[in-house]
Amino acid sequence: MTEIIKQDTPADTIDRRQFIKGTAATMAAIGFTASSRAEAEERRRVPEAHYGQTADQTDDDVRVVHSVCLGCNARCGNRQVVRNNRLEKISGNPYHPYNSMGKPIHYDTPVESTLHLPSPVCGKAHDAVGYVYNKRRLIKPLKRCGERGEGKFQEISWDQLIREIAQGGRLFSHLGETRDVPGLESCLSDALIDPKDPKLGSKRNSFAMITGRLQSGRSEFIDRFVKSSIGSINRIGHTDICGLGFRMGNFALTEGKQVELKADPWGAEYILVFGANIYEALQPGINTYGAAVADRYAKGEVKFTIVDPRAQNAAVHSHDWVPVIPGRDGAFAMGMIRWMIENNRCNSAYLSLAHLDAAKKKGFSCYSNATHLVIDEPDHPGYGQFLRVADLQSNPTENDKTIFMVLDDDANPLPYTANETALLDREASVMAEDGKTFKVATSFALMKRAVFAHTLGEYSTFCGIPEAQIIKTARDFTSYGTKAAVCQYHGAGNYTNGTYAAFAVALLSVLVGSIGMKGGYLTGGGAVASWKNGEYDLNNFPGKKKPTGVKISREGGKYEETAEFAAKKSQGGTGYPSHRPWFSFTRGGLSVEAMSGIDEQYPYGCKVLFTYFYNPVYSTPGGYRYRETLRNSEKVPLHVSIDIGINESNLYADYIVPDVTYLEGHYGWLNPHAPALKFTGVRIPCLEPLTGRTPDNKPFCLETFLIDLALALKLPGFGDNAIAGSNDAMYPLNTAEDFYLRAYANIAQGANLPQASKEDTRFVEKNYPLARNRTMFSDQHWRQLCHMLARGGIFTGYDTGFSGETFLHGIDRVVLYNEKLAKTRSSLTGKRFSGTVQYLTPEDASGKNIAQQDQDYPFTVITYKMHVHTQSRTTWHRYAMELFPENFIQINTLDAKALGLQSGDKVRLRSVSNPAGITGKVAVTQVIRPGCVGISFHYGHSQLGASPVLVVGAKDVFLGGPEVCDKDGVTGVPALGAGTNPNLIGRLDTNMANTPLVDVLAGIPDFSSTRVKIEKSA
Amino acid sequence: MEERRTFFKRTGVLILGLTGIATLSTAVSRGSSSTVRPAMIIDVNRCTGCHSCVIACKEHNLTPEGYFNTTIITKDKGEFPNAWLTYSPELCHQCENAPCIQACGYGATFALADGIVVTDWDLCVGDGACVDACPYNARFLDPNNGNKADKCDFCVSRLQKGLAPACIDGCPSHARVFGDLSNPQGEFADYVRLLIQDQPNIFEEHKERLFHTIAKKG
Repeated sequence: MTEIIKQDTPADTIDRRQFIKGTAATMAAIGFTASSRAEAEERRRVPEAHYGQTADQTDDDVRVVHSVCLGCNARCGNRQVVRNNRLEKISGNPYHPYNSMGKPIHYDTPVESTLHLPSPVCGKAHDAVGYVYNKRRLIKPLKRCGERGEGKFQEISWDQLIREIAQGGRLFSHLGETRDVPGLESCLSDALIDPKDPKLGSKRNSFAMITGRLQSGRSEFIDRFVKSSIGSINRIGHTDICGLGFRMGNFALTEGKQVELKADPWGAEYILVFGANIYEALQPGINTYGAAVADRYAKGEVKFTIVDPRAQNAAVHSHDWVPVIPGRDGAFAMGMIRWMIENNRCNSAYLSLAHLDAAKKKGFSCYSNATHLVIDEPDHPGYGQFLRVADLQSNPTENDKTIFMVLDDDANPLPYTANETALLDREASVMAEDGKTFKVATSFALMKRAVFAHTLGEYSTFCGIPEAQIIKTARDFTSYGTKAAVCQYHGAGNYTNGTYAAFAVALLSVLVGSIGMKGGYLTGGGAVASWKNGEYDLNNFPGKKKPTGVKISREGGKYEETAEFAAKKSQGGTGYPSHRPWFSFTRGGLSVEAMSGIDEQYPYGCKVLFTYFYNPVYSTPGGYRYRETLRNSEKVPLHVSIDIGINESNLYADYIVPDVTYLEGHYGWLNPHAPALKFTGVRIPCLEPLTGRTPDNKPFCLETFLIDLALALKLPGFGDNAIAGSNDAMYPLNTAEDFYLRAYANIAQGANLPQASKEDTRFVEKNYPLARNRTMFSDQHWRQLCHMLARGGIFTGYDTGFSGETFLHGIDRVVLYNEKLAKTRSSLTGKRFSGTVQYLTPEDASGKNIAQQDQDYPFTVITYKMHVHTQSRTTWHRYAMELFPENFIQINTLDAKALGLQSGDKVRLRSVSNPAGITGKVAVTQVIRPGCVGISFHYGHSQLGASPVLVVGAKDVFLGGPEVCDKDGVTGVPALGAGTNPNLIGRLDTNMANTPLVDVLAGIPDFSSTRVKIEKSA
Repeated sequence: MEERRTFFKRTGVLILGLTGIATLSTAVSRGSSSTVRPAMIIDVNRCTGCHSCVIACKEHNLTPEGYFNTTIITKDKGEFPNAWLTYSPELCHQCENAPCIQACGYGATFALADGIVVTDWDLCVGDGACVDACPYNARFLDPNNGNKADKCDFCVSRLQKGLAPACIDGCPSHARVFGDLSNPQGEFADYVRLLIQDQPNIFEEHKERLFHTIAKKG
């Protein structure tokens, strides 16, 4: 590791100096001029001498902490400046590549000498100050004291909170509720959750924890509790609403090895952006990816084209804007592929390379299976699977069953590693030893067949883009060799059948051979070192459980193995359909299907639901449906929310546990997103928690809650002697720091970091609240840890990730044809899915086209993130709200004219699923496709301070105390509820208990198919 | 602090040696080249419109709600489907012979020796004459501070500490470049050169300290 750090090239350093010399050096000169007495006197008269300003990192009276932001999930570093124990300012961490467009200062630079260096963060990061001190933050635990969802709460003691949730009982008898509420204890049973179906696992699975904004650190901590300690399989992430569609395209492409790949913004000469909001959102964020693209655009080093129904802010610099019809990205990509094949614009030399060694010999780091043969004979038992050596032999060895086959120049089949190249575009017949012949085709030929199912003209009609533009973009894309790639994100594929759209988009980069190449389509470089192994074993502990069964979201589950399937089959049918879809081919993180599973108590019922930093009612398209779920105590007998405030979802909870923000906690190790870089940032709180404390003086937060529950229930893996050390010593897990700081020590040790200098150690001990925990470590380990802590992580620059033109941390193989996908059957129809790309429109669970069904609703809603906001939680960002107090319903000028609407008019949007609709203000613009309605997704809250909530003893419960309370509870601020939330009109699926629309293959929630009518309202 | 400044100075000298920009500094120099003349160049071709600069400025200067020392002017361009929004960061231009200085009847607004225009709040009566006189709409009366006039001063207190103005520190793509017109260095010097190349008379026509590049797209 140290070796990697030392590899920072002189080029990196000089590039960085280029900026420094333009700014910092000049500032020094300016500073000097002010040193004359007269000048200094003069400057004392400026306004700031009167009203003061926030502290600067170089001031004598501040503490400075290098950490990782959580304004969004982009994982930029930050520099937190604290004066009098109050956070005053945020800037960037100059060691972190995400704060320096990929080119950080040298890692060994002494910390004190870097404090003056400019280092940017985006607006969301700066707004942390408003966030952490928001007066409506919850600091005490709450228990419901009215009906579910009525919005009445009272403060309870920590001990009562732990006891009641652990043990359950008649917890609401004082409200007239006679039911016996199951506690967590009731889930600690190895008895089957469904005696008829052992495949579903034990009663431990009746405990589910759905996590919203979760990152590494807390993710591992929660998994320790839910999976390893309780033994439930149901720790469910929220990847689906984060953006599952584009991930599924990459999942299919890489056979599940990586789901995030992006164009390399530092090396690409042409980037084709599909639904990735590069100047306003993305991961890495606008501070990194967008900034690097803009910088290189200004220098004339890169061009990019945006495929998006909305001309996002990046259109200011884009080569072209392709305003594709929502949900039709795949048609545009397949039109491009068709033109590329017909005009010999694919990189055939690359695609013909049949195996990894051949690819490496030609200067690539990854090969494709374009030449590999697939059995193309419908009657053959292996139809749709790869042809392997064994398929041609009468007495094959085990090894023969694993070896793919290709065609040599004379179209004879041979093992794929026999020659460097093989025939690329070929269908043929092969004869087995037993004399039977059958048809085979290369993966490329099957892809081509699927692509050629439609003409360019048809693709043009499907995607709403003229043929000439498809050709122009395809020509542009294929004019830069391996220095062109796509950057796809949420918008590409965030709809039903989105896997196939995103697969086609992903293949574009493969067809030009840029996968794994500098300037091409890259994965991230991964972590620097392991958190779980080293001095401390954070992975294993005595009594560790291994969860079994099927997740309530059915992700990864095989329907054909269930009792339901067997029963349906035994009644004479095919066994299909399942009651709700099963998702054996998915990246997972299906929060929406978990909620719908809970709603339908399918495949089993949930007894205890924990939700962490998760607001499904607000954040899911159609999430309003879950009010009904959460209100129902049969479906959700006990609901505990862990959050920093009262939101639209935990308004329905039985208990709300106050949590800390990322300025006070959220320890974690934050590894890079795609593309290219390799690092591990660590989050380091700059403030002591602002929440209340337990009788034994632990802060109220997620970790204390789970630890205290574990102690109350005597669960393994927590308490004294829970963590084994390398020297047979046992260590406690009684506080968050007991876990996270040992993980940090493992990382520092695994990276072989040097001992911090005296100065760097002093920097940590003087500035960081966690220095209180230094006695956990030997002096030697503490000094090593300090080297990392002082710098906010362990970082390398962009160039260290490459050997020549190839990426060192990429994947070995990508596929044009995915065998596992081809073997997967829809649990609703029993039909197999296609193993290669195909053009499909968004459909509901019955397979009906949504746009056709909803044709009386002429406009399609699209949503997007703004540069100063993150998802559902940034109405507490004071400057974001000052700059943009509300959002708008954006429509094209042509549509506005036809509807007689002007900017500022109030309108109502009605959808088939929400006929009552929602209202908002129109903004007329040229930068959205006609027929579309664009709404940013951050506004239109009814909670998080927007409405009053009845809370007994509120003044002790909220951070702002009496200032935000009246006699009934916490007051509401209408400004926090300004604007429109598009999810409130999201399309539901009438075929599936009217739950939010999801894709039946992978469980992708649909963000692009909701159609509306626009009516002028008073 | 002194130590840090020395570090800067050393860095500056070192890099100056790498680039020969002595002739350039004469080209844009008016008056004594020993006088530092801080200026900001905004490259609109790097600006993503992210508003981090605006928020960083608010965070540092704590201007009242609804009042800004720097803003981003957003404009519509073109027609669908060749349409986009443009972003142009704006702030006080630190004019030489500034209209606001001339408009102030109390001598409250004045230029520091390095040209940065500031307001002495002991003298300011808050009559708003300077606000009306500003051609760039860069001034406002601060309701939190007795309606005294305020505006951007390139964060002079940060400059004195050897720190970049908050907006410079806050700009992810380095669209704001800050430097000394009397002694342009590094990237700032490159941009001075670019400005002269694209807008030959810019330093004659705009006797100010804020300059914008020309958008490549348009």
